[in-house]
Amino acid sequence: MKVKILKRTSNELKIEVEGAGHTLCNLLQKRLLEDENVELASYDIPHPLASNSIIYVCTKGDVKPEEALRKAVERAHQMNKEFSKEFKKALKP
Amino acid sequence: MEIEVLEKNDVNMRLLIRGVDTPFVNALRRTVLAEVPCMAIDEVVIIENSSVLQDEIIAHRLGLIPLKTDLNGYNLPEECPCKSEFGCNLCRVSLTLDAEAKEGTRTVYSGELISENPDIVPVSDKIPIVKLVKEQKLKLEAYARLGKGKKHAKWQPVSMCTYKYYPQIKIDSKRCDACGKCVEICPRKVLTKNVNKIEVRDLIVCTLCQDCMDVCPQNPPAIDVSWDENTFIFNLESTGALPPKRIITEAIKILDKRLKEFIKHVKVKTREKS
Ligand code: SF4
Ligand code: SF4
Ligand SMILES: [Zn+2]
Repeated sequence: MKVKILKRTSNELKIEVEGAGHTLCNLLQKRLLEDENVELASYDIPHPLASNSIIYVCTKGDVKPEEALRKAVERAHQMNKEFSKEFKKALKP
Repeated sequence: MEIEVLEKNDVNMRLLIRGVDTPFVNALRRTVLAEVPCMAIDEVVIIENSSVLQDEIIAHRLGLIPLKTDLNGYNLPEECPCKSEFGCNLCRVSLTLDAEAKEGTRTVYSGELISENPDIVPVSDKIPIVKLVKEQKLKLEAYARLGKGKKHAKWQPVSMCTYKYYPQIKIDSKRCDACGKCVEICPRKVLTKNVNKIEVRDLIVCTLCQDCMDVCPQNPPAIDVSWDENTFIFNLESTGALPPKRIITEAIKILDKRLKEFIKHVKVKTREKS
């Protein structure tokens, strides 16, 4: 995985991520949009055969966009952990 | 979040997952299909082939034979410390096939492949490879490696992995005159008529096609089919390469790793810039 910053201001962040397709981006977009400090979050996969994606985050100004992104990833991570826990529990006899 | 196991056996697993959203189950599904590794034949050295099929077609057929996989004992070739293009015994399994039609026409089956590791064998002995007529021969050596579904479908550990919303069916008993039209049209036999009442027999199999709503003579329909957007039925069918439980735990692990990796890179990059 490689990350390149395309644009960064006090409330906007646009990054290009090598090796992240719809799997991660769609999940992160949804998690970002849950944050009330986030004005806009979107992603684009410029070429369907290359797994390079562009993620764009714009906040309302109170929080830094990278901070919002970090929190979004953490929420996704938390969800995955919870799934793992519940899955193990469900499989126990 | 709540998970209930609806069905579980050697190859199938059906889960009822409550309290998640589409992007998450979709991420799980995509990870199962494209990222969970399994073994498949990747390289074939044909020593003799006098069958009617070309070497390439036989190699392709061999590649598509699902193999029982041992994820703990083998490395992905790109992650193996041997760094060799050919591979070592930690990232490659060799299988041989030596078949000849001595008596008359016969079919060569996957069970005739002899593996150097008795744990890495075809999931079924009865997969046909090629038909030989008398005196035709097929002799080859094949190398199986771990790989991921995103590179080639032969490395998908599942033959099917899907999810759907959990159906909700409401019947307005005041307006329903029990004409039975909805029972008749339902392709999955979800509904039954019990004396003068329509009842739901098996909710889970409903495909949400809403044919029952269209056919209902009442206006608006006395039956209403909708779905719960936070409850999913997750269905997975393994090829036999890995047990379904292992496929899901492996997918969870991969997602976990990728999310961690992602945030690490973002942190490093944003610090660099400021
Ligand atoms: S088609 Fe409509 S009216 Fe007829 S039994 Fe079904 S719900 Fe009732
Ligand atoms: S939506 Fe389709 S599958 Fe479901 S009950 Fe109605 S007719 Fe049957
Ligand atoms: Zn190796």
